[in-house]
Amino acid sequence: MTHPDAPPPDMIPGRTPHVQATWYRLLAAMAALLILSLIAVTCIDVVGRYLMNRPFGGAFELTQMLLAALVFVALPLTTADGGHVEVDLALHLLPPAAQAALGWFAGLVSAVVLGVFAWRLVLIGAAQLHEGTRSASLALPMAPLAFLAAASCAVSAIAVLMRRGRT
Amino acid sequence: EELILSSWLPPRHPIVVNAIEPWAEEVAEVTEGRVTVRIMARPLGTPPAHFDMARDGVADITYGLHSFTEDDRFERAKLGQFSFLGDDAVTNSQAYWDIYTGQLDASAEHAGTRLLGLFMHGPGLLHNNQRKIETPADMAGMKIRVPGGYAGDLVAALGAAPLFMSSPEVYERLSRGVIDGVAFTYEAMTAFNLTDHIKYSMTVPGGIYNTTWFLVMNEGKWEGLSEADRAAIDAISGPAFAERVGKAWNDADIAAKEEVGDKVEFHEASPEVVTALREAASALEAQWAEGLGEYDGLAALAEFRKRTGVGIE
Amino acid sequence: MTLSLIAIAVLLLLMLARVPIAFAMALVGGVGFAIMRGWGPAGSMVGNAVFETGLNYSLSVVPLFIFMGNVLAGSGIAQGLFAAANRVFGKMRGGLAMASVLSCGGFSAVSGSSLATAATMAKVAMPSMRAFGYADSLAAGSIAAGGTLGILIPPSVVLIIFGLLTEADIGKLFLAGILPGMLGIVGYLVAVLVAVRLNPGLAPQGVAAAPLTRSDAVSVAAVLALFAFIMIGIYGGFFTPIEAAGMGAAFALLIAAATGGLSRLKLWRAFLDSATASAMIFVIIIGAEIFGNFITFAGLPDTLASVIGDMGLSPWLVLILIVLVYMVLGCFLESLSMILLTVPVFYPLVMNLDFGLVSLQDPEAVLIWFAIIVVVVTEISLITPPVGMNVFVLRTVLPDVPLGTIFRGVVPFWIADIVRLAIIIALPVLSLYLVG
Ligand code: NA
Ligand code: NA
Repeated sequence: MTHPDAPPPDMIPGRTPHVQATWYRLLAAMAALLILSLIAVTCIDVVGRYLMNRPFGGAFELTQMLLAALVFVALPLTTADGGHVEVDLALHLLPPAAQAALGWFAGLVSAVVLGVFAWRLVLIGAAQLHEGTRSASLALPMAPLAFLAAASCAVSAIAVLMRRGRT
Repeated sequence: EELILSSWLPPRHPIVVNAIEPWAEEVAEVTEGRVTVRIMARPLGTPPAHFDMARDGVADITYGLHSFTEDDRFERAKLGQFSFLGDDAVTNSQAYWDIYTGQLDASAEHAGTRLLGLFMHGPGLLHNNQRKIETPADMAGMKIRVPGGYAGDLVAALGAAPLFMSSPEVYERLSRGVIDGVAFTYEAMTAFNLTDHIKYSMTVPGGIYNTTWFLVMNEGKWEGLSEADRAAIDAISGPAFAERVGKAWNDADIAAKEEVGDKVEFHEASPEVVTALREAASALEAQWAEGLGEYDGLAALAEFRKRTGVGIE
Repeated sequence: MTLSLIAIAVLLLLMLARVPIAFAMALVGGVGFAIMRGWGPAGSMVGNAVFETGLNYSLSVVPLFIFMGNVLAGSGIAQGLFAAANRVFGKMRGGLAMASVLSCGGFSAVSGSSLATAATMAKVAMPSMRAFGYADSLAAGSIAAGGTLGILIPPSVVLIIFGLLTEADIGKLFLAGILPGMLGIVGYLVAVLVAVRLNPGLAPQGVAAAPLTRSDAVSVAAVLALFAFIMIGIYGGFFTPIEAAGMGAAFALLIAAATGGLSRLKLWRAFLDSATASAMIFVIIIGAEIFGNFITFAGLPDTLASVIGDMGLSPWLVLILIVLVYMVLGCFLESLSMILLTVPVFYPLVMNLDFGLVSLQDPEAVLIWFAIIVVVVTEISLITPPVGMNVFVLRTVLPDVPLGTIFRGVVPFWIADIVRLAIIIALPVLSLYLVG
């Protein structure tokens, strides 16, 4: 589906051409599907309420859960792209060795933060599994979402380090 | 000792102004300044996170609704979420405190925290902008926003379509005709600006629904206080807090009723509607009681209604 | 208080070391919280912030409004807008720069994001301006500045986030943004005129533009139709401002299908860009939430409010002081982080001020007016050095143009923005007129 020579997305400053790895495309396809689902849920709800006087009762919480899934499916992509907002001030004035050292430092900090996110999300997921946490109207279990988020942060932490290793 | 209280309601909400804040000030008074309570300028997490926040020590004291999280943690708390429970928030809250902490062992469901308060608001009504509900059939197909599982099952049993959404979304959806009605208190009519979008409000003796709330403190922090301070705080919490917060709800309801005036037609549910509601409600109550194991939910409900004087048979 | 100041200093240092802003905020906020409350509570707070942010229903507008703009950008709508605007201004000196401003404004009306507007218009307008010998400074400056219009002209992700933070009515916020947004376009057009008058070397003499093609007209019609669809949908009571994002995205897909301008590759890129941009924004929101919890805990907002309150200043002076704080913060902070960190601190303060104007007697009116002021200051921060996000976007599109040149080109627009800010502060009615 994607062209291998496609230009890098330039919406986000400082981004490098992204990895065309299988995992990247797989997550991207999932993200696309989730965006489409978000659109579909709203449309079914809005159109349904006028044409059939039949609103879609689960639209609110389905939107919530699709949104969370989208954010966490996309996070490793943004991270692999180097798409997080950074302040780019006077760094280019430093000698290349210092720049590289700072780059590693920034990568390490990011990976640690993402790693802590992942760890806390595992704890949340485990608690939700234990307490049987579910959504209010559709009674969908919440724990899988927390585990998805945890996996996403863990993969992102690895992606940060791999990126630093390449550049 | 300074205790941190995380508050998620708007700072000018009657419960914050007339219950939480005065209680916090009184804590300092009764402990002669040894314990003070600082209310955060903004909450330290989302509303549903507030129980866990007190348990985990993110804040020292939090309050919230038991129905925030849909899980198996606060099953017995649902005692106070049924219909026909009582029209006075003070009596409701005190009965709820006594019975839930007594025979239903509320502390066990609030493990990791010290229970400082349990409370309920005034009676829930059924507001709508379609028609006056005179028979159960008038509710058929009506799209009603409900606060949670029980109220949803109840209106569904009468043929209405229950919808879930956050309270601030109600205004958007009611004014756009996405929903036809909402199960809410008197106070919520004015708090969420709904008066112009409601035509009929049906009262049910003892309320069509209620919500139950907790006020809890981190257990470790509680243990760390001196015995004298704990006793002093206990004296203004529990039933005393139930009275204070119940009065705050009652006053808010009275103020709202005055503000609404005759812009909305209030009417009592007809005997026919009440009968239908009772039938649906008792089935749901029995189902709830079944899942409580060793605890006798139906006895607790009967006791509750005896306390509040709502006759039901 | 001391701890918060140290934390802010550490945050700035981490940001200077190119730690992504989101992670820097999360780290400083989490560690700061741990120092005050212990590691267990800090971990619990961080976990909640990460998990609950994704579940925020209202934030579903972020991916959907961005996707809507990306679909239209991929369909070549921006080229059509630029060509049409060029018909209006082409013959004047600096006409292409004015056309850039106008088409940025037009694209803003269907894009929820400033960055998306700037990136899209840069690809369209920059090549033309370079081909005709425009100075890089004016060319890049007009697009960087024009892109900022995206957050005031509805739909706007930033206004929705402001509404979330303050419980203000999002529908009213959108209405309030229209007139000040149009004033922004006019101000930028004047800025171009004055700049080329003072320095004719910036732009060549105007040339007659090519006649409008059918596809250009279709582009203009498409933008108008989508804007009308969103506004009628919201104000006609058909859907909520949150639902407008999903409906608008569906409508944009229909337009793209009807005009046939969106290739499969571009559609794929629209999905990918929207997803990755959303993740970027959500991580910033998470980081700001964590940092905000720490700052709240450390008591900075309370202290600040009581210090200002105790000074007994006139309400107007308080407001101007707040605007100055924003201008200073805007130099360093990314726009969304700035709003997330400051609005909860300042809005209760501003809402309680009595400005002595009939139009501002209602606290809700004050809140809406303040929202517009905050958004305009945020627009300014997007092009204020050293951290100007829109300027950064331009640099990634134009790697050979030095940052300094773009910032120089932005100066006339920056001045126009300051004038507009003064007008909006002095005349609250400009923001409140359409709200009624
Ligand atoms: Na916009
Ligand atoms: Na800036």
